[in-house]
Amino acid sequence: MPQSIILDSFHLLVSNDMHFIDTGADIPDEDDRRIHRRPLLPREDEQEDIEDLQRRIQQRYAKSHDVEYDEEATDVEQQALLPSVRDPKLWMVKCAIGREREVAVCLMQKCIDKGTEIQIRSVVALDHLKNYIYIEADKEAHVREAVKGMRNIYPSKVMLVPIKEMTDVLSVESKAIDVARDTWVRMKIGTYKGDLAKVVDVDNVRQRVTVKLIPRIDLQALANKLEGREVPKKKAFTPPARFMNVDEARELHIRVERRRDPATGDYYENIGGMMFKDGFLYKTVSMKSISTLNVQPTFDELEKFRQPGETGDGDMSSLSTLFANRKKGHFMKGDRVIVVKGDLKNLKGSVEKVEEDTVHIKPHEKGLPKTLAISDRELCKYFDPGNHVKVVSGATEGATGMVVSVEGHVVNIVSDTTKDLLRVFADNVVESSEVTSGITRIGDYELHDLVLMDDNSFGVIIRVESEAFQVLKGVPERPDVALVRLREIKYKIDKKLFAKDRYKNTLSVKDVVKILDGPCRGKQGPVEHIYKGILFIYDRHHLEHAGFICAKSESCMMVGGSRANGDRNGNSFGSRFNHLRTPPRAPQSPMRTPRGGPPINFGGRHRGGRGHDALVGAVIKIRLGHYKGCKGRVVDVKGSSVRVELESQMKVVTVDRSHISDKVNVSTPFREPSRYGMGSETPMHPSRTPLHPYMTPMRDPGATPIHDGMRTPMRDRAWNPYTPMSPPRDNWEDANPASWGTSPQYQPGSPPRRTYEAPTPGSGWTNTPTGNYNEAGTPRNSSSAYANAPSPYLPSTPGGQPPMTPSSAYLPGTPGGQPMTPGSGGLDMMSPVVGSDSEGPWFLPDVLVNVHRSGEDNTVGVIREVLPDGSCRVALGSNGNGETVTALPSELEIVVPRKSDKIKIMGGAQRGATGKLIGIDGTDGIVKVDDTLDVKILDMVILAKLAQT
Amino acid sequence: MFFHIVLERNMQLHPRHFGRDLRDKLVTKLMKDVEGTCSGRHGFIVAITGIESVGKGLIRDGTGFVTFPVKYQCVVFRPFKGEILEAVVTMVNKMGFFAEAGPVQIFVSNHLIPDDMEFQSGDMANYTTSDGSVKIQKDSEVRLKIIGTRVDATEIFCIGTIKDDFLGVISDPGAAS
Repeated sequence: MPQSIILDSFHLLVSNDMHFIDTGADIPDEDDRRIHRRPLLPREDEQEDIEDLQRRIQQRYAKSHDVEYDEEATDVEQQALLPSVRDPKLWMVKCAIGREREVAVCLMQKCIDKGTEIQIRSVVALDHLKNYIYIEADKEAHVREAVKGMRNIYPSKVMLVPIKEMTDVLSVESKAIDVARDTWVRMKIGTYKGDLAKVVDVDNVRQRVTVKLIPRIDLQALANKLEGREVPKKKAFTPPARFMNVDEARELHIRVERRRDPATGDYYENIGGMMFKDGFLYKTVSMKSISTLNVQPTFDELEKFRQPGETGDGDMSSLSTLFANRKKGHFMKGDRVIVVKGDLKNLKGSVEKVEEDTVHIKPHEKGLPKTLAISDRELCKYFDPGNHVKVVSGATEGATGMVVSVEGHVVNIVSDTTKDLLRVFADNVVESSEVTSGITRIGDYELHDLVLMDDNSFGVIIRVESEAFQVLKGVPERPDVALVRLREIKYKIDKKLFAKDRYKNTLSVKDVVKILDGPCRGKQGPVEHIYKGILFIYDRHHLEHAGFICAKSESCMMVGGSRANGDRNGNSFGSRFNHLRTPPRAPQSPMRTPRGGPPINFGGRHRGGRGHDALVGAVIKIRLGHYKGCKGRVVDVKGSSVRVELESQMKVVTVDRSHISDKVNVSTPFREPSRYGMGSETPMHPSRTPLHPYMTPMRDPGATPIHDGMRTPMRDRAWNPYTPMSPPRDNWEDANPASWGTSPQYQPGSPPRRTYEAPTPGSGWTNTPTGNYNEAGTPRNSSSAYANAPSPYLPSTPGGQPPMTPSSAYLPGTPGGQPMTPGSGGLDMMSPVVGSDSEGPWFLPDVLVNVHRSGEDNTVGVIREVLPDGSCRVALGSNGNGETVTALPSELEIVVPRKSDKIKIMGGAQRGATGKLIGIDGTDGIVKVDDTLDVKILDMVILAKLAQT
Repeated sequence: MFFHIVLERNMQLHPRHFGRDLRDKLVTKLMKDVEGTCSGRHGFIVAITGIESVGKGLIRDGTGFVTFPVKYQCVVFRPFKGEILEAVVTMVNKMGFFAEAGPVQIFVSNHLIPDDMEFQSGDMANYTTSDGSVKIQKDSEVRLKIIGTRVDATEIFCIGTIKDDFLGVISDPGAAS
């Protein structure tokens, strides 16, 4: 058994080992003395005796085990010392409460008197174990024999201590109270229970410590007491902790004496027997009434302690406690640390390796050894301003932010989510790239959820605390924040509702609104939640309530179109960057505003037709009935029934309105069908016109791919009357484009558009609304719609340069190698069926062709040159050594290569490359390209046989 | 810092757009999709300046959508640690002030404002030196140094300092009026 344990615990140990008694006659005597002075630490002279004793115990046990005792016993050796079955057993015997020590001493006396008769080995009485003593003996009978006839001991119950627990009996949690000056402790009892205190003096002899506390003194009560007035015995409350103000005390006629403490020589104010200094209370208490373990002072507490004039010095010294309470594995490899104590103070380095208590660091300074081993107590984590960190413990645990400044051991952090300043200990922080706001969820509720509370009030969770939420209630008059516990929340409101703004525009979630009146007037941001006509708006410039503002929907105005440009839209800079094509969102003219709402968007053209329900155009899912599970787009709403164009089947079905759920892609009114149809083919490009200022990426055709994929442009119109007509189709329709353009419904939208478009370079078509539609009807113009985008780098005017395709106009940097078909723009080069339908000059020189001119036989020739007009100069003859003629492309036909022929690739990315056809698979040819030696599978159509040279 | 770089993106195009204007539409869509976005690696994509190449389209099974790999040149803006920027103050509070340099929001904590500047609350919150000669308020233009950046998927947020030589207010709207 580890001998040190026995000695450390200062428990009574009486041995009956013959050996022991023989060699040390004075031992009982010594033990006697120790019993009397139990609470005291051993004196110097005793120390030797103890060592002596220790040695003898060692000898004794060493003998029985033949184990060499070594001071530096390793763990394994220590294991070997553990009791085994061959060792004497430990028996637990009941005795009278409070008589444990007495019983033990009596037993010892008995052993001395009776000698070998008593076969027990030792007796142990533990201070913390009442009612029992332990007796070490080989057999239970020996124990019974030994205790026979003794008082205060009840041998009726003799229990064997299992071998495994034997060590626990005698091992004591190293309770050695290591109280040093300047350590932080907590009071265990009294008025100051739980309070943080700082040790200023330790009296080990009397087991008392003097601590410094922030007083909790009710001066009035104190005054009453001192003046002998009646003091109510039981106090209902503990006075709040605050610093003692001597002047205040004097005002209440409390006698304040200034005395010099004989021990320290410092002056203290003495009030009613209590000593104060600098406002702190100095109190001498028993060591038992303070707790030293796991004292983790919070930041606020420490700040308080620092308050009166104490500077950074105290901070550093008090760190030792903080360090002592560090968790295991506090330092990690790679952590940047700074040495705070010792010779190497202020040395910075990064952690290389962590051992038990020593940390190997790699100093950042040059000229120092590669690694230095430093005690972890002398190290402190170190951060630079700008580091992104995460708080790993303390009140703000889990929060992340960026370090703005470092003050010694304290780091100031700007929280990522709240943008608040947090002050935390460097110890509690680790570098991290993660972004969180601490906990964001309790139960089913998450930060920024809209929840309904018990009292039927509702609000948005703006902060999640450890056990409760801060909820911004849905009261528009003033910001009302309530602390709500989990159980007070009924449920999360997850409905997608709509509201009407002041101008009766339908608002949906994510629409950007501006608040027109109320306390937050002028603020603007996307709507996050709508409930009962109350909007919760998120304004990132609003620092309070996590940026949330609660407002009535009537006091808001929709800004820009509904469904603004996705994530960018809440940010003012979004518009700054989109201004090229997007009109500024904020200064909306009222005239335009009513057009912004989705339901009215293009309703004008179809008024009198179908109802303009917000649902129209929305992608929904059918929940019930025959078509349950089908997704589709709402094309019409009639009363309580909805006509839905199914995605999976090409038909429109009528279902009950209650049978659909609009969860799929919440309210995508109008935008999608109109997006390309109207957007890119008509001059009123959505992203450029105020009518349609924002395109959300959400609204991508990708959102409902199948659906979109199934429709042809023609049917687009036929199926969804809301789709605006693109000009070419307009011709096909009986409507007159001009009248359309000037139709009164459109008119209001035009002027602003025009003003907007006016600065567009080369946007000739914007001159008059009518004109633009006429022109738009011509293919060239419609194709140059993009070119009209007010991009500064656009050189061409739309109608201006006929030979130039829009793409080429747009792409000054296109590599020359890219073949460009004037007639068909960039299409055919990208199209997978390149060449099959193009009659452009896709021939290349050196290709073998069949020339069939009218009235002549087919002759084989080799293209020598491709002329700019598309015709080719062909040298007749399979080797190209015949006469040279000029042939039109229509007169030429490529000679289809056969296997193992040399070929030239006529289209695609590899156009112009030569290779060898190594195989044919249906319509595909397997080609080994000469340059790269790649093997490609290419359409046979784009392969041409190369002339032999 | 601004960069002119070449990026690549796979664009999905609806079959409806296949035709003469395919390329235009592709480019329009690309601009719409890309400009103003922010990626952690490259920063904010400010503007597309040209198309390098459009790769071969690949038809997606089932949808008919075609994916084109598009290489485009664009101007990106990416703030760096240690970079000096000029920014416009957008908000002042007791913790410091927020400024914007283009799309980037920068926070300058009061720890990083020179010690002689004090916060003055009121209608127009500001930081003022004791002699009142320098004032930072909303719409002031400041020169600042970025000391830390945090890059999200959609936003870059920076911490800046004006506690250094040659940093601070460069033009003050209040002074002009």
